[in-house]
Amino acid sequence: MARPPAPGSVIVPDWHESAEGKECLTCILRKNRRRVFGLLERPVLPPAVAIDTASYKIFVSGKSGVGKTALVAKLAGLEVPVAHHETTGIQTTVVFWPAKLQVSERVVMFRFEFWDCGESALKKFDHMLPACKEKTDAFLFLFSFTDRASFEDLPGQLTRIAGEAPGVVRIVVGSKFDQYMHTDVPERDLTAFRQTWELPLLRVKSVPGRRLADGRTLDGRAGLADIAHVLNALAEHLWHQDQVAAGLIPNPAENAPG
Amino acid sequence: MGEEGTEGTVHLLCLAASSGVPLFCRSSRGGAPARQQLPFSVIGSLNGVHMFGQNLEVQLSSARTEDTTVVWKSFHDSITLIVLSSEEGTSELRLERLLQMVFGAMVLLVGLEELTNISNVERLKKELRACYRLIDSFLGDSELIGDLTQCVDCVVPPEGSLFQESLSGFAEAAGTAFASLLVSGRVVTATESWWRLGTPEAVLLPWLVGSLPPQAARDYPVYLPHGSPTVPHRLLTLTLLPGLELCLLCGPRPPLSQLDPQLLDRWWQPSLDSLRACLPLGPRALPAGFPLHPDILGLLLLHLELKRCLFTVEPSGDKDPSPEQRRCLLRSFYTLVTAMHFPPEPGQQEEKVEDTAQRAQVPRACYLVSGTEEPGTGWRLVALQLGPRRLLLLLSAQSPCHGLRSLATRTLQALTPLF
Repeated sequence: MARPPAPGSVIVPDWHESAEGKECLTCILRKNRRRVFGLLERPVLPPAVAIDTASYKIFVSGKSGVGKTALVAKLAGLEVPVAHHETTGIQTTVVFWPAKLQVSERVVMFRFEFWDCGESALKKFDHMLPACKEKTDAFLFLFSFTDRASFEDLPGQLTRIAGEAPGVVRIVVGSKFDQYMHTDVPERDLTAFRQTWELPLLRVKSVPGRRLADGRTLDGRAGLADIAHVLNALAEHLWHQDQVAAGLIPNPAENAPG
Repeated sequence: MGEEGTEGTVHLLCLAASSGVPLFCRSSRGGAPARQQLPFSVIGSLNGVHMFGQNLEVQLSSARTEDTTVVWKSFHDSITLIVLSSEEGTSELRLERLLQMVFGAMVLLVGLEELTNISNVERLKKELRACYRLIDSFLGDSELIGDLTQCVDCVVPPEGSLFQESLSGFAEAAGTAFASLLVSGRVVTATESWWRLGTPEAVLLPWLVGSLPPQAARDYPVYLPHGSPTVPHRLLTLTLLPGLELCLLCGPRPPLSQLDPQLLDRWWQPSLDSLRACLPLGPRALPAGFPLHPDILGLLLLHLELKRCLFTVEPSGDKDPSPEQRRCLLRSFYTLVTAMHFPPEPGQQEEKVEDTAQRAQVPRACYLVSGTEEPGTGWRLVALQLGPRRLLLLLSAQSPCHGLRSLATRTLQALTPLF
C-alpha cells in the first residue's frame, strides 16, 4: 500500500465548518436530521454546484463486540443499538460525505459503502468473508479501548483479512475512546503499534450524539461534527490511493505488506 | 374494553425441555419491551407443572388465573415455550399462535438442528440473542397482524402490474425465482415462487425485514421453518427508498456485490415515481382515493386460501380511538370470531370451543358493540365471511347497527377485485 498521506494534505480539514461547507452539507440533512438515502437516491445539489461522486467499498473488521455496527450507525447518523447482539449476516450502509480537495479546491461527493458482518456469521458461513473482501477499497480494523484482547487481535486480523490485498487502504480505529479513563490499551502500546505497522489510527467515542429539541431525534449537524474527522480521514486515504493507482502521484516508498 | 387494556404484561419463557434450563425470557408491558423478569422460582414452577403432566402423559396446554392466561407448548421434545399474558382480551388462540411464531423465528435465525440437538446450552443462548429483536416485535404493539392471522400482511399498490414486471425481470437478472417488494414489512408485490413459500416463513420473512434497523443492503442466512429448516438460504434485501425494500431469497449465488446500484437503476429507476407513491401504503394499505365509508375506522380483510391479509387503521385517523386502540379492538375481535364463531381456517388444527356437531349452522356474519351499554355509543365491530374472504370492520359509534351488514357487504364487494 502507498505511504499514507499526511493528515490534511489531501482534504481541507475543517471545510465542513465553513459557510460553503455548511451550505453543501444541507444536501445530506433534512430538518436538522441526517437524511437516509435509498439505493435509488443520491443527494441533490443545486445545478450550479454539480459535483462528481467517488464511490468506495469499505469493509469493517474487528473482534465480536468491539462496536462495528455501532460505529457504522454513528457514521450514518442512525441510532446506536443499546444492547449488543451479534450481527446476523452482512449488512451494508451508505454514507454520503462532501469534501473539498486541497490541490484543486474542487468539492467531491464521497459515497462510502460500509460492509459490516457479525463475527460468528463470518466463521459459520464460508461465503461471507470473500464477499466482504471482494473488490474492497479499504479495511477499517476496529479495536475497543476497553477490550485489550481486541487490540492484541489486530496483527492477526491484519494478516488474516488484508494479507492478500496489499494495494488497499488500511485504517485502524479505536472505539469507546470516551471510556479512556478505563482504557486497557495504554498510549505506549499504541505508539509501538504505529511504529511497527505505519498505519493511520483514528479514535472514536461511542457515546450517543446530541438530540434535537424534541429530546428523541438525533441532531444531524452535531452528529456530523462528531464524526467529520473519521469521514475526512477515509476520504483522504481513499482519494490519495486512487491518485497513486492512476499514476498521478509518485509513490516512492513502496511498503511491503505486513 | 377499558383503558387498562394497554397496560397488560406479557412474559415469554423459553427453556430447554430436557434440562429445564431457561434459554431466554422476554417481556413487554403496555405494548413496549420491558426489562421486568419473572423470579426463577416462578419459571421453575411453570416448567415443572408442565413436565409433571408430561410424565403422566397429560398434555397441559393452557391455564387461566383471574387476570392472566398461560399457554405451554413443546417443540420437537427439545424446546418448551411458555407465555403468560395479562393483556385485556387475550385468548388461548392468540397465545398459541404467538408461540408458533416465536418458535418459527428461532428456527429462521438459528436453524432447527441447533434447537433439537442442544450440545452446548451456553452457545445456544448466545445464538438465540439474534432472535430477540424479532421476538420482541411479536410481543409489542405492531402495526402488522400476520402473527395472529398467520396470513401475509399485504398492501394494494396503485400500479401493481408495473412492479410485477420489474420484479420478475430483476429476479431473473439476479438468478433467483423468489423475490418480493416490501413496504414497512408488508408485501407490495411478489413473484409466484415467493407466494408459494409455506407458513410460517411467508409471514416471518417480511416481518423480519420490517423489524430490522435501516440498512442499505443485507445478506442474512435464514432457515425456512417449513421449507428448509436445516439448510440455510440467503435472504438479500436492498433498500430502494427508505422503508421500501426489495427482498430476494437465494442459494450461494448471486453475491451481494453483484446487485449493485447500476443494476438497481436499470430495473427500478424508470418506476421511481410509482415506488415513491407506495411509501404511504405502509400504514394505509390501500391506495389514496379508494372509496371507504367515512364510518370505517379500521379494516382487516383476509383471503384465507391465499393466506394474505390487508390491515389498516388509517381511515378517519383524526377521530377517536387511537391507532393502538383500534388495532387492539380489531385483534380481539378477530380472535373472538375465529375462536368462537367462524369455521376453522384451512390448515388450522386448533380445537374449536364449540362442538363440531353444531357446524351445520355456520355463521356468515356477526357484529359486536364495544364499550358502554347506552344506546348510540360504543364502537361497532362487524365480521363477514364470503367465500374465501373474511372482512372485519371497526366502525364509529354513529354507524347504525341495522346497516352494519350491508355496509360490510358493500365494502367487501369493492375490495374483492383488488384482493
